[in-house]
Amino acid sequence: MKSSVPSGPRRERGRAHTVLALLTTGTLLLTSACAVANSDAAGDAGSADGRTLRLVLTQEPPTLEPCESSLTATGVVVRSNITEPLVERDPTSGKLDPLLATGWRQTKPTTWTFDIRPGVKFQNGQPFTAKDAAFSIDRAVNSDLACNVDGYVFGDEKLEVHTVSPTRLTVTTEKTDPILPLRLSFVEIVPRTTSTKAKVRIPIGTGPYAVKSWQTGVSISLARNEDYWGKAPAYPRARYVWRSDASVRAAMIDKGEADIATALDHTSADKGNTVAYPNNETTALRLDGREAPLDDIRVRKAIGMAVDRKGIIDALLGGLAKPAAQLVPPGVVGHNDDLAPVPYKVAAARALVKQAAADGVPVHRQITLVARNGMFAGISEVAEALQYEMARVGLNVRIRMADTATHLQYQLRPLPRDVGPVALLIMHGNQAGDAAFTTSQYLVSDGPQSTFGTKELDRRIAAADALSGKARAKAFAEVLGYQNETVAQYAYLAHMRGLLGLSPKVRYRPDSATGDEMRLAEVSPAKAGRH
Amino acid sequence: MTSFLRKRIISSAIPLVFVVLGVFCLARLTGSPVDLYLPLSATPQQRAEFSAAHGFDDSIPVQLWDYLTNAAQLDFGTSLRTGESAGSMVLKAFPVTLQLAGMTMLLAILGALLVGSLAAYRPNSLIDRIAGLLSMTAASIPDFWFAIVGVLVFGVGLDWLPTSGTLGGPEIWVLPIATLLIRPFGVLVQVVRGSMVGALSAPYVKVARSKGADPKRVVFGHALRNSITPVLTVAGDLTVGLVNGAVVVETIFGWPGIGKLMIDSILQRDFAVLQAAVLLTAVTIFALNILVDVCHALIDPRVRQAVPA
Repeated sequence: MKSSVPSGPRRERGRAHTVLALLTTGTLLLTSACAVANSDAAGDAGSADGRTLRLVLTQEPPTLEPCESSLTATGVVVRSNITEPLVERDPTSGKLDPLLATGWRQTKPTTWTFDIRPGVKFQNGQPFTAKDAAFSIDRAVNSDLACNVDGYVFGDEKLEVHTVSPTRLTVTTEKTDPILPLRLSFVEIVPRTTSTKAKVRIPIGTGPYAVKSWQTGVSISLARNEDYWGKAPAYPRARYVWRSDASVRAAMIDKGEADIATALDHTSADKGNTVAYPNNETTALRLDGREAPLDDIRVRKAIGMAVDRKGIIDALLGGLAKPAAQLVPPGVVGHNDDLAPVPYKVAAARALVKQAAADGVPVHRQITLVARNGMFAGISEVAEALQYEMARVGLNVRIRMADTATHLQYQLRPLPRDVGPVALLIMHGNQAGDAAFTTSQYLVSDGPQSTFGTKELDRRIAAADALSGKARAKAFAEVLGYQNETVAQYAYLAHMRGLLGLSPKVRYRPDSATGDEMRLAEVSPAKAGRH
Repeated sequence: MTSFLRKRIISSAIPLVFVVLGVFCLARLTGSPVDLYLPLSATPQQRAEFSAAHGFDDSIPVQLWDYLTNAAQLDFGTSLRTGESAGSMVLKAFPVTLQLAGMTMLLAILGALLVGSLAAYRPNSLIDRIAGLLSMTAASIPDFWFAIVGVLVFGVGLDWLPTSGTLGGPEIWVLPIATLLIRPFGVLVQVVRGSMVGALSAPYVKVARSKGADPKRVVFGHALRNSITPVLTVAGDLTVGLVNGAVVVETIFGWPGIGKLMIDSILQRDFAVLQAAVLLTAVTIFALNILVDVCHALIDPRVRQAVPA
């Protein structure tokens, strides 16, 4: 029996079929496109053939320009892998070791002479001479390229560079600089054919690896430099990929998709596949001493006493940090071994705040605690704990979580106006190994990352900076103690530790420089599954 | 049909203009990118030169005019981060997202039609209840949580799928698409079921059933066809929402698509790339809306007549 329900005019059915056909065609097109994209069966990080070292980073480097190597994301790929400096600092002992310079000495109070290593070639086959070293220093420090290494390492200093011979170089500073070789360890050497007008995307250096390809958004591949002047690295190839989520990076190690993963999170990483290491980073609250109630030293010291460092470290940082009493960690020249973290004393802190209130300090004025998303794992919880602890001693705190650009507006001079009192949660890494790099930024009155200071502190910092050797270390240690007593711009939290994911297939010992400079030549295949 | 199309284009173009202008102005309210791109020691002259070179020293109306006149000539500026053309960066990233979104919506629609129809065929049956529970759960699960759990369970625990990445066999598509799929699928099953239940209780279906028509033909032939209009409308809206999902999926699984590009551009204050990405996405959504409306009108002639003059 024929149904009496109309099936619709033929034209209407045709339209429905058109829609279906569109959907089907779309699927076929998309599927075929996928097939094109999936031509490499080895995966983003490369195949596990034992010849490619596979690394997963937190983010894609914004650039591989060597003069931007003081940026963590750039330096971790470039430094000592693709390009090399004249001198390198041993991250453990702090000693300076020869690299592209075989020796150096202070020939005049303001002049240092460097002997250049002979027989070294760049990855493009060009020989390396003193002229290349002079060119690289000029390009990074004296040019208009606005390189980051210029700002972080040399400040406003200009250098005069001369080549005495193909293997000798002199560098003259405006005033005596006892740590110039250490500063120059941050200048990566490039051939003198490199552009001085623009930053380069793919660098050429003298390092053990050369850039083979950079597939934007996906991976960076390196190939072993077969003409490398030093010991050949174990892996012929290295490949970097990036995943912003720490649990995915940890999963890649656990599943064998990557050999090394940076910046893991203790909450998601398998302890069997991770190694903790001191990363020279220190967290602290920078207190804006220009604004009430933070302009009162009793309030600033009360904040230091209100912080339960051990509790925060144990509960929120996985025990991977140590309570801090200063901005520089042990191992850095100028670290003061005698300083102990401020004891956790809530009642005493509350009494200090009350004293200040009795003297008319507006302790109930709202303080903004600014923290940066992603600064370290558990940052939001730490900010909330600090807010609670500060409130407990009688202060009124609100939290503002910011992205990097917004955080920088609070961190760098010129500081924002009309934003009230700010307690900025900072994480400072002193990778250079000398307290001068910290004090010049964070402690002098007009430091780019300092809110205030005193003339006496400035004088002591300048005096310490002119010294060398043990006298220098002692003077900076005294500066750090003096700051805590008389200025108290910082409420320290912790000296942090990094967590590196390490496959059982590779052997590598991370050190305090690993987060900024991971030397691939130090990685080798593991024997019997040992790191 | 031409009149219908003209009216729809005009009404859909208005939000597109507002989105593009809004993103342009709001991006500039977040502050200058100078601090992110120049070192601490940059001199005032270097800062001024950087601002002048990228047009940040002009007033916002002047910057907007420059942007619009250049965009009209398909010049979207240069990325501050990479120095590449913003247009080419966006065009490189867009197909990745398009593939993900296209595959996802197709599977979501086909799956929802099947599951929703089965559920509607016998309302309140066991199948209907299971479908209802699963679809409600799917529509409520946060996509980032689903993605991470998927990686841990299917990537690490069971070792069936890769954890992430864009290179490999068809298996690399499973987790990203499943993550993107879960919410639209859940919503669409609800829509299909609701629409089908209404259609199956309509008089013409009762008449057809009473005359002994083949039940499957009644359900999948007549009722489903008449229920498709709201499904297409909702699917269109969900596709627009996939850009949000793409941000999560592309970030977690390392896919270099438009969602990740937008987030990176916002964080890095890379205005040229952000503007180009938003413009292309907005135009795509605009075109998609028109396409959905046209499909809608082709299937249901009442829609063409319903558009006010």
